[in-house]
Amino acid sequence: MDKKILWRIVLIIAVVALSLWSLYPPGEKIHYGLDLSGGIHLVLQVQTDDAIKAELDDDARRLVSRARDKGVELGETSSNIKDLSFTVAVPASADTATLREVAASWLQGYKITPGAGVWTFQLPPNMDRTVRDLAVRSSLETIRNRIDQFGVSEPVIQRQGVESDRILVQLPGVDDPARVKDLISSTAFLEFLEVVGGPAPDRQSLLAGLGGTLPSDSEILSGERKGLDGQVVGLDYWVLKKAAIISGQDLRSARRSQDEYGQPVVNFSTQPHAADKFAEYTGSHIGTRMAIVLDNNVISAPVIQSRIPGDGRIEGNFTVEEAEDLALKLRAGALPATITYLEERTVGPSLGHDSVVRGVRAAIAGLIAVMIFMLIYYRLSGLNANVALLLNLIILLGVMAYFGATLTLPGIAGVILTIGMAVDANVLIFERIREELRVGKTVRAAIDTGFARAFGTILDANLTTLIAALFLFNFGTGPVKGFAVTLSIGILASMFTAVFVSRTLYMLAMAGRERVETLSI
Amino acid sequence: MRIIGDTSFPFLSYRRLALSLSALVIVAGLAYEFLGPGLNLGIDFVGGTQVTLKFREEPDLGDLRSAISGLDVGAPMIQRFDEVEKHEILIRVENPEGEEGDFTRPILELLKGRYNADLGDRFDINTQGSQGLRDLLVAADPDGVGGDQEGREAYYEPMAEAVLTYRKNHGIFDSLDELGQVEGLSAPARDYLQNTVGVGAFSLLGADSVGPSVGADLQRKAMLAIAFSLLGMLIYIWIRFQLPYAIGAVVALFHDVLITLTALAVTSREINLPTVAALLTLVGYSVNDTVVVFDRVRENLRLHRGEDLEQQMDLSINQTLSRTLITSGTTLAVVLSLYVFGGDVINTFAFVLLVGIIVGTYSSIFVASPVALAVNKVLVARRERRRRKGRR
Repeated sequence: MDKKILWRIVLIIAVVALSLWSLYPPGEKIHYGLDLSGGIHLVLQVQTDDAIKAELDDDARRLVSRARDKGVELGETSSNIKDLSFTVAVPASADTATLREVAASWLQGYKITPGAGVWTFQLPPNMDRTVRDLAVRSSLETIRNRIDQFGVSEPVIQRQGVESDRILVQLPGVDDPARVKDLISSTAFLEFLEVVGGPAPDRQSLLAGLGGTLPSDSEILSGERKGLDGQVVGLDYWVLKKAAIISGQDLRSARRSQDEYGQPVVNFSTQPHAADKFAEYTGSHIGTRMAIVLDNNVISAPVIQSRIPGDGRIEGNFTVEEAEDLALKLRAGALPATITYLEERTVGPSLGHDSVVRGVRAAIAGLIAVMIFMLIYYRLSGLNANVALLLNLIILLGVMAYFGATLTLPGIAGVILTIGMAVDANVLIFERIREELRVGKTVRAAIDTGFARAFGTILDANLTTLIAALFLFNFGTGPVKGFAVTLSIGILASMFTAVFVSRTLYMLAMAGRERVETLSI
Repeated sequence: MRIIGDTSFPFLSYRRLALSLSALVIVAGLAYEFLGPGLNLGIDFVGGTQVTLKFREEPDLGDLRSAISGLDVGAPMIQRFDEVEKHEILIRVENPEGEEGDFTRPILELLKGRYNADLGDRFDINTQGSQGLRDLLVAADPDGVGGDQEGREAYYEPMAEAVLTYRKNHGIFDSLDELGQVEGLSAPARDYLQNTVGVGAFSLLGADSVGPSVGADLQRKAMLAIAFSLLGMLIYIWIRFQLPYAIGAVVALFHDVLITLTALAVTSREINLPTVAALLTLVGYSVNDTVVVFDRVRENLRLHRGEDLEQQMDLSINQTLSRTLITSGTTLAVVLSLYVFGGDVINTFAFVLLVGIIVGTYSSIFVASPVALAVNKVLVARRERRRRKGRR
């Protein structure tokens, strides 16, 4: 056999073998999109205005209380989200120099505009972006925690764009959308609980320490135990009072900070209405442990050092990242912004299943129709095209599996369309060969010129389709993107199979024959 | 076998008739879309909520309407989905003006109140998921597994999954007797479920809710995608061929998209994301056809230098005619198969391609080349004039 043909055959076999290998086993390798596997797609918007309002309210309140400490009584406050400011009524008798001093030390960066009886304080520039950004990040963190807890495989939870206030959530295979929505939209569940017993490495030893039975007002919860190097070394079990001292809604803010030794800590402050309760409890329980529990996980259980009047500090052997994370989680618990649904798409499991069955049926019917036509119209050359078509499908699916592309319902339509359009290249070539034969060329020469002339056309025609697919990919979300990907791969694969594979098959048929008089076309 | 032999139709001599006909259809279509009933934009673009349900028994549409009449939304659209014997219903409502939110839930709550009132607090096997079912079994422990929570969860999880797989394959549980057909469900667990759970009147096939801001976003993106892909085509063909051909091809594309949109409007089919994807595919397909003809024109012009462009175009269209028709035929065959077998979800998608391929094939013969010819004439005449002016 000609060495050139041999190389071609080796290449084709290699490509097909690679495709089959990446496809095997087919059920696991081709990922179904949400529209086929069933599941839920949500676009949420974090109402960051809420966060801005909370920030302004907090700062206004803080100003009033700090000023009071210095003997300056202030009046009503009101915040204005639109121009990012709050106003405070300042009585004529007030000591304005002291007020300025207080404001300068507690409201750094604020622009202060004194007026007749009312002072306006405007949020420092860029501060609103920071606050909004924090609100979105905390919400993202909360949602991720809750979904992790739900045990969904391969969830997508991401912010739509860097500065965006939108969060995209995709949960494939979820069969109870209502439950997931409840889980996401309920505010994060953060509690400060009284520690009755623990820590212990397991439930049994914990219960043994309590005399074998769990008091009815208590529960057992666990949290990760970390070694000195910060690695998780196991679980700690705690017995905790069920009734919370305060919960997430009572928290106002939390930030990572440093103590006097430069050790990372987390500072938090409570809402005014909870401050008294918290101060009273901590004041009477100095030296005992208090557990911070987020979504039923014990995050830490610090020893209460002193009475906590409203602003508190959590110390632990934190790294900077851990402190940042904890602050984020605490803020998430205090979720400063509500979440609204912008877009929701639920696909029930049976609809997706039905779509797959029908799509496959349509693909097979279309495939058979095209193959029969090619066989009748082009006879043995039609067989050649059919082999190329089947290889095209194998390569298409193989490449999709290799790159982990998702198969969607429009994607199935893309596969079906590829079947119809893939034979186009073969038709172009065959028609050209027929023309060349008609003007009296020999079979070999006709095949050579047929392929050569048709190739330019095929290239131009396919590139235009690729341009359309490119814009489709750019524009589309989920299912439509899947279609663009399938179509593009199908077009590229068809150039390989119709041009290269078909040519090789002709070469193979011609090989070893001195003179070729007729061509079955 | 050959269907089309050597032809020599004078296609271009019909160009006035063909172009007038196309223009007439397009103008009538635009009038229908902008002055008449207009395009039926789906919730993807105008926002709204759409819920697809499968019922055990065919529900009365009037009854359904009254069940959700308590919603504070515009007039709901209720219609059958897919084949009649499947008892599938599609409910579409407009969201309250300018509001974002979860509008699927209230619809489902109202329907549950109407159709599943007899269930009481019982677990509805037709609307709830496998985790809920697992939790139910773990709590009751009908097989007496004992041990800790996690062990029991691991034991009952496959059973709950099996029950859900059955619902996935059948769409809905018609009665609790069907639990007997679920493989992998132990006898005590089955008995327990048959005594405790209920069979709701419907299961949720799908729900889509799009708020106004996302709808506006998608609308803008769809327009941009179509505009940019047309621009991309124009530039590509301009580079590979010449300006007159690029203009001819893009005019043909506008022609195809506008006529297909008219077909969508007249059949009052819904335009949603997959429909736009189909329109873009049509753009790719139609230009593909046109390029094959232009490619041949370019080749023929090289072979027969100095001959009349109109004749060369006619020759090229005739030479590529059999290819054009065969490719359209094979593509049409697969799209038809998608249209017939693909189901309701993909039906409009297939419809767009079906119409588009026919119109696209027509336009690559009767629109693209005539327009390219006309533009070429204008350009040549202008060049001529300029040259003469220069000489003077």
